[in-house]
Amino acid sequence: MNKIELCCIIDDDPIFVYGTKRIMKEVGFAKSILVYSDGQAALDGLTKLCIAREPLPDVIFLDLNMPILNGWEFLDEFKNCKSKRSKKIVIYIISSSVDPRDLERVKNYDQVDTYILKPITPDDLIKILGTVVEN
Amino acid sequence: MKTLAVDFLLKESPNAIAIVDTKLNFISYSNQWHQKFSLNKTDNDNKPLFDNIIEMPDSFKIALNNGVNGKEDINLGQKFVFPNGKLQWLKWKIIPSKSENHGFDGAIIFLDDITIEQKEIELLHKAEEVARIGCWELDLLNNTLNWTKTTKDIHEVTNDFIPNLKEGINFYKEGVHREKITQLVGLAISEGKPYDTELIIITAKGNEVWVRAKGEVEMLNGKAVRLIGTFQDIDERKKIELAHQEISELLKITTQTAQIGTWDYNLLENNLEWDHEMYRIFNIDKNNFSGVFKAWSSSIHPDDLERTLAATNDAINGIKDFDEEFRIKHKDGSIKFIRGLSKTIKDFNGNAIKMTGANWDITELRSTEFKLAESTKLFAETFEHSAIGMALVSPDLKWLKVNKSLSQSLGYSEEELLKMTSMDITHPDDIPNSTFYKNKVKIGGNKNLQLQKRYFHKNGNIVHAIIGATPVKDLNGNISHVITQFLDITDRIEAQKKLEALVDVTKSQNESLTNFAHIVSHNLRSHSTNMTMLTKFLNEEEDEDEVKNLNRMITNATQSLSETIAHLNDVVQVKTGALEQLQSISILNTINQITKSINGLLEEQHATLNLDINKSHFVHAVPAYLESIFLNVLTNALKYRAKERTPVIDIKSKIEKNDILISFTDNGQGIDLNKHGNNIFGMYKTFHKHKDAKGIGLFITKNQIESMNGSISIESEVDKGTTIFIKLKQA
Repeated sequence: MNKIELCCIIDDDPIFVYGTKRIMKEVGFAKSILVYSDGQAALDGLTKLCIAREPLPDVIFLDLNMPILNGWEFLDEFKNCKSKRSKKIVIYIISSSVDPRDLERVKNYDQVDTYILKPITPDDLIKILGTVVEN
Repeated sequence: MKTLAVDFLLKESPNAIAIVDTKLNFISYSNQWHQKFSLNKTDNDNKPLFDNIIEMPDSFKIALNNGVNGKEDINLGQKFVFPNGKLQWLKWKIIPSKSENHGFDGAIIFLDDITIEQKEIELLHKAEEVARIGCWELDLLNNTLNWTKTTKDIHEVTNDFIPNLKEGINFYKEGVHREKITQLVGLAISEGKPYDTELIIITAKGNEVWVRAKGEVEMLNGKAVRLIGTFQDIDERKKIELAHQEISELLKITTQTAQIGTWDYNLLENNLEWDHEMYRIFNIDKNNFSGVFKAWSSSIHPDDLERTLAATNDAINGIKDFDEEFRIKHKDGSIKFIRGLSKTIKDFNGNAIKMTGANWDITELRSTEFKLAESTKLFAETFEHSAIGMALVSPDLKWLKVNKSLSQSLGYSEEELLKMTSMDITHPDDIPNSTFYKNKVKIGGNKNLQLQKRYFHKNGNIVHAIIGATPVKDLNGNISHVITQFLDITDRIEAQKKLEALVDVTKSQNESLTNFAHIVSHNLRSHSTNMTMLTKFLNEEEDEDEVKNLNRMITNATQSLSETIAHLNDVVQVKTGALEQLQSISILNTINQITKSINGLLEEQHATLNLDINKSHFVHAVPAYLESIFLNVLTNALKYRAKERTPVIDIKSKIEKNDILISFTDNGQGIDLNKHGNNIFGMYKTFHKHKDAKGIGLFITKNQIESMNGSISIESEVDKGTTIFIKLKQA
């Protein structure tokens, strides 16, 4: 199975980042993984990549509760710089929140593909791999 | 040529005759002459005529002189008034005589005194004139019609007018009048039937006049030969009669329409006569009515009987005309109110002989009056005792009358209120609305319009009220006054405000609940999932170093979990029963206590604190909360200090109404409020990269302040600093 070129995790929880990276390795999800610990850092980093014309991630796993710039705020900001990008980036919300209001709110963001409840499992990743590679 | 026979004939003639010579001496005279015209009864023969004759008019003397001179003089009857006032009608014929014809020279005198007859005729004419009764005569033999002067006057023709039958009939008004007279005259002529009728003629001058024409017939051999009759001007009488008839008719209709019964009581015969309406009013069958006074008096209500009978006696005795109200009882038991009026008619001797009067039913009027009185009384009572404020207000908004409730609501006595207008104590913000409302009421007809507005109570408090106004119009349709209802809803508004405050509390509590839910759904869960994941890895891991790493991570996750549970505990504690523990606490003391406890930190940071706090400033607060709040705000100021500046923190306090405003101003990093303003006091919101940023401090601070009825706000500029304002109730 083909791997994803570049995948990005935006999450402030180091344990989650560790676990996710470990599972990705297990299922052979991506060739390389970018990690940002909050939304602001991710926005800054991705914008820098864009300007430097370096490859952008194919998939982003985005946490919602983060300091400085949370997941929602990141989505709003990221939407603003969409025009600068040519490549379609698939974004997965990945959160431990089972709050129905969060699930509802996701629908307002069409660049978001799916809401995935933590913890992420190998099956989730395999499924995502399937759809992304297919497209 | 005096012969005895002639002389005898002359003497015995039934007429007064005298024969005189040219010297006016008597030759001879009849006995009648001597009787009627001689002054004394001595023999007149050969004596001058004027020596022994009663006073005669000059014209007679002239006529006699002419007579002896050969000129005949005939007077068919002439009225003479003598200087002494004596009136005499004389008729004469003087015939000249020549000796060659009659054997003597002189004159023969026929003289007649017709004064008595003429006076009668004259009286008759006068009577005709006065009575406006003329006479007429129709001679059927030679077909002539004679009218007397009065008849002509009535026809308004001149005295020389000579009428004929056709003309006479044509004076009658065309139509029924002319047809009637034609028929009556016809019957009189053909059948000898007399007539007596009243008809209209049109006079020669075109006036319509009512006349009474009467005709009698003189028959000869079964044939009418003459019609004589009278002709009377009855215009005035007839018109009065007709007018009377008309008035009577009108009166009858009026009394019937007005349902006024009239009666006539003959006192001498004790006979009471009622008209149709009386029977109706008294509800008595005409056939069963005894027609005596008792029948009337027995209908009267026992309670009114004595008074009514006394009034009747007064009326009969001429003391006072009857004018009473009394009740009668119908056979079916119903009671009617009757008004009665009467006039007593007396004979020449002043004795009452008759009473006439009228009765009418005023039951409806009485009951309407009664109802009106009741409703007026009811209104007055309702007005006075109404729980709702009520007032009568003039069109220029002056109070005309106010009730207890209104004066209670506004705190002014009725006397005070009547001296002012409603605008005097209207809240200034509501004056435009009130003015608009007033105009709406003016043009709004009878609609009941409502307005909610505010007044000032005498003690200065605001009174909330709903005003309802109903304009009352006078007979000309102008508004005379307005009935105003004043519903004091101050309590309701206060309750509403409390309710709104309660809703706010509920809302914030709900928000807290949401946060709890959030903590449970996210934070607790994230730790547990992490642990699940790590334990799973741990089970599968064989590498020693990695196992150590995993164990370390599990420990962290466990620590985070207990930290989160501790936060949760803090939040729950803030939420319960803060208000009961409020005490009066000195701000300055609390600040001093806090700064002492973090003295080490302050020194480490080389921080400067500038206090501007009045030691008289006390707030209502929970001591532990106040300490926690100040500590949190101060440590935040130190935690988020600017790297390139030593921290300077100004703490001030000042009084604002019933609150005390405490401000903490630092020169730290500041925060972008445009970006994070909404979340600044939210749970788990962090905005800086700081290892200790948990996003829980300000959340708890805010909750603690609000639980003490206070408030917190923030002003900040990135890289300049932040000011936190804390408002608490002054103690």
